[in-house]
Amino acid sequence: MEKHKVICPYCGAGCQFNLLVQNGQVVGTEPLNGITNQGELCLKGMSGYDFINDTKILTPRVLHPMIRRTKGADLERVSWDEALDFTASKMQAIIDEYGPNAVMTTGSSRGGGNEANYVMQKFTRACIGTHSVDNCART
Amino acid sequence: MSCSIPGMEDAGCIFLFGYNPADSHPIVARRIVRAKEKGCKIIVADPRHIETARIADLYLPIKNGCNVAFLNAFANCLVNDGLYDKEFVAEHTNGFDEWWETIKNYTPESVQDITGVEPALIHQAAEMYATANPSAIIGWGMGVCQQKQNLKTVHTIASIACVAGQIGKPNSGLAPVRGQNNVQGSCDMGMLPNLYPGYQKVTDPAVRAKFAKAWGVPEEKLPLEEGYKLTDLGHLVDEGKVHCFYNYGEDPVQTEPDSAGMRKTLSELDLFICQDIFMTQTTMLADVILPATSWGEHEGVFTASDRSFQHFDAAVPPKGECRHDWEIFADLSTRMGYPMHYDNTEQIWNECISLCPNFVGATYEKMAPEGGYAQWPVKSTDVNDHGTADMFAGGKFTTKDGRANLMAHDWEAPSELPDDEYPLILCTVREVGHYSCRSMTGNCKTLALLADEPGFVRMNPADAQARGIKNGNIVSIHSRRGQVYSRADVSDRINKGTVYMTYQWWIGKCNELTMHKVDPVSHTPEDKFSACQVDAIADQVWAEGEVERQYTELKQALVDAAAPQDVEPGAAKFDDETHVNQIV
Repeated sequence: MEKHKVICPYCGAGCQFNLLVQNGQVVGTEPLNGITNQGELCLKGMSGYDFINDTKILTPRVLHPMIRRTKGADLERVSWDEALDFTASKMQAIIDEYGPNAVMTTGSSRGGGNEANYVMQKFTRACIGTHSVDNCART
Repeated sequence: MSCSIPGMEDAGCIFLFGYNPADSHPIVARRIVRAKEKGCKIIVADPRHIETARIADLYLPIKNGCNVAFLNAFANCLVNDGLYDKEFVAEHTNGFDEWWETIKNYTPESVQDITGVEPALIHQAAEMYATANPSAIIGWGMGVCQQKQNLKTVHTIASIACVAGQIGKPNSGLAPVRGQNNVQGSCDMGMLPNLYPGYQKVTDPAVRAKFAKAWGVPEEKLPLEEGYKLTDLGHLVDEGKVHCFYNYGEDPVQTEPDSAGMRKTLSELDLFICQDIFMTQTTMLADVILPATSWGEHEGVFTASDRSFQHFDAAVPPKGECRHDWEIFADLSTRMGYPMHYDNTEQIWNECISLCPNFVGATYEKMAPEGGYAQWPVKSTDVNDHGTADMFAGGKFTTKDGRANLMAHDWEAPSELPDDEYPLILCTVREVGHYSCRSMTGNCKTLALLADEPGFVRMNPADAQARGIKNGNIVSIHSRRGQVYSRADVSDRINKGTVYMTYQWWIGKCNELTMHKVDPVSHTPEDKFSACQVDAIADQVWAEGEVERQYTELKQALVDAAAPQDVEPGAAKFDDETHVNQIV
C-alpha cells in the first residue's frame, strides 16, 4: 500500500494525514502528526476521500474538455487544443470590444492550492490586464 | 488569526462569538476542550445552545442580529467596570476618546431589548475576558462575517482586544477561523481585487513597479485601480460591464445567496468558463468546461487559518484528460500572447515567495517532512525557523505608526426583519458531516450515508408546535426569493423565532431563500439574517415522494450534462440533414 502526505481539503484547520492508495485508488486515510492536528482527524478528514475515485454518488467528475460552440448550444467534447483556442479567441474578442475589466476571474479556496491561485491571478493581471479576481472569502 | 491553532490550548480565556467550532472545525473544537481541561475559561455568546456552550463557564443566549450592540455593551463594561488596560491603550492605540464617545452610550442595560441578554451576564463576561491570565482569545466565524454590519463587527472585536490588552502577547488576540481549507491561501495569493500576493496594494505604484518588472510587463498593463468584487457580478452583468466570467473551483449557484438571481446572471454572460472537478449546478451552465485534477491528483501548498503554509503531495495520477489548474492557466495565457511556463509547483512557489516579503522563508524544504510547516510572517530560510505563531508581539501593529486605531460604530438593525407574512428569521449555518457545496463530501460513501437530502431545518419546539410540525417531518420553507422543502429537526437548543439551515443541500437549498444584500465595504452577504416562513405539509407520503423526485431529477440532469464527455471528438459529428435522413 502506498502512502502520500496531504493536507485536508475541507475546513481551515489544516490537518495532515496520509492518503492510502491501492491499485491506483484512494482507499483510506491515516492521521499524521501535523502542527494543528497532532495525530487526530475529524469525520470529514477521516472519511472524505473517495470522491477522488469518481464514485458518482451525487454527481460525476468532469474528465474531458467541453464547449458550447454557440450560446445555448449543446455541450460538445473537444480536444484541449480546441477548448483553449476557443476560449482564448472568445475572451480576446471580449477584451478587444469592452476592455480588460469586462473579464472577471476567481481563485479557488478549495483543492487547487496556492500555486494554482498564484498563476490564475498572474494570468488575470499580467495577461488580461485587470485586477478583477476574487475568491469566496466573502461568502 | 493573530494567534495559532495549537496556542489556543494555552489561553486563559476563549470567548466564542458567532462561531460553532464543533460543526465548522472539529479539530479546533478539540483544542478548546483541551484548553478547558487546562483551566481556560470558556465564554460562548450565540443564539443557539451550540456544543461548546455545554462546556462554557458562561453562556450568553444573544438575539440574532444584535452583534454590534452586544459588543458595544461588552466594551462599555470594560471601561465602566474599570477592567480595561490603561497602559496598553496609552502606549499602543489611537483614538480612545472618540471610541468612547460611541461606546459610552451602550450600557448592557440600555441595549437589553436588542441583545436579549441579562445585563449581569455581560458584566461577568467582560470581567472574565479582561482579567484572564495569561491571555484571552476572541474566536469568531460566519456569525460575525455574514451579517449586515460584518466589517464593523470585526472593528469592534479588534478594538475590544486592544482596550482589554488581550492582544500582542502569546496565545492572545483574534481568532477568525476560516471556513474553507484554503480561504486563507486564496487571500495570501492575492485572489482579491485590491491586493497582489502577500497583501500588497494594487494602488501602490512601487508595488506595481515591482510586479511589472518581475512579470515582464509594462507598468501600464497593471492598473492602479482596484478590480471588481465577486459579489458584484450580478449587477455588473446587468449593467453590461462584465461579459466574461472565468469561474475556477467554485459553485456559486449553490453557495451564493439568491440562487435564482445567480443562475440568471450566469446565463446572461457572453462567455462563462468553468474549471472544476465535478459537474455541478454551476458547471452545467458553462460555455466552456475545463476539467482539472482533484486534490489527491496534484501537489501544492495550502494555508491553514492560522497562517501556516503546509505542502501536500499527489497520491494518484490524473483521471481522463484532467490537467493541473496551473498548467491550464499557463497554457491559456500563452495562447493569449503572454507566455507562461513552469515545470512544477515548486517553481511557481519560489517565484511567489520571492515577491512577498512575509512569505520569503516558506520554502518547500521546510514544508516537506511530516509535521513540516511555515507560518507567515516567515522571513528566514533557516529550516528550523517555522515563522510566527503570534502576531503583533509587544503591541506593535502593522499600521504606519505601529499603533492600533480603535474603531466604534453604532448598531443598525438587520436588513430584512420578520413580519406577519415571513415571521421567522432564517440563519444559514454549517454541519459536521458535509462541506461547502457538497460536491466532494456528497460523493463520499460514508458521509453520504450519514446525511442526505433534503437536509434539515432546525427549529425550536414552540415554533414547530405552533405550525403542527413534528420532528422529522418534511416541511416547506419559503421567503421572498423562493421555496424549498427540508426536514424539520426540532430541538430546544434552537432559539425561538429563528430557523437554521445548512447550505450543503441541493434540494433543501437555503440559498434559494436568502437574499443578495451585501456589506457596503466588504461586500459580504447577509446570509445570517433574512425572513422566512415554515409550513407543515399534511401529506407526508406525498412530501417524501416529492423530495425524492426532485433529487432524482437533479442528479439525472447532472449526469445528462456530463454525458457528452463520453463521446470522443469527431465520433458523433453529423449535420442536421444527415441526422434527419438517418432517422428516416
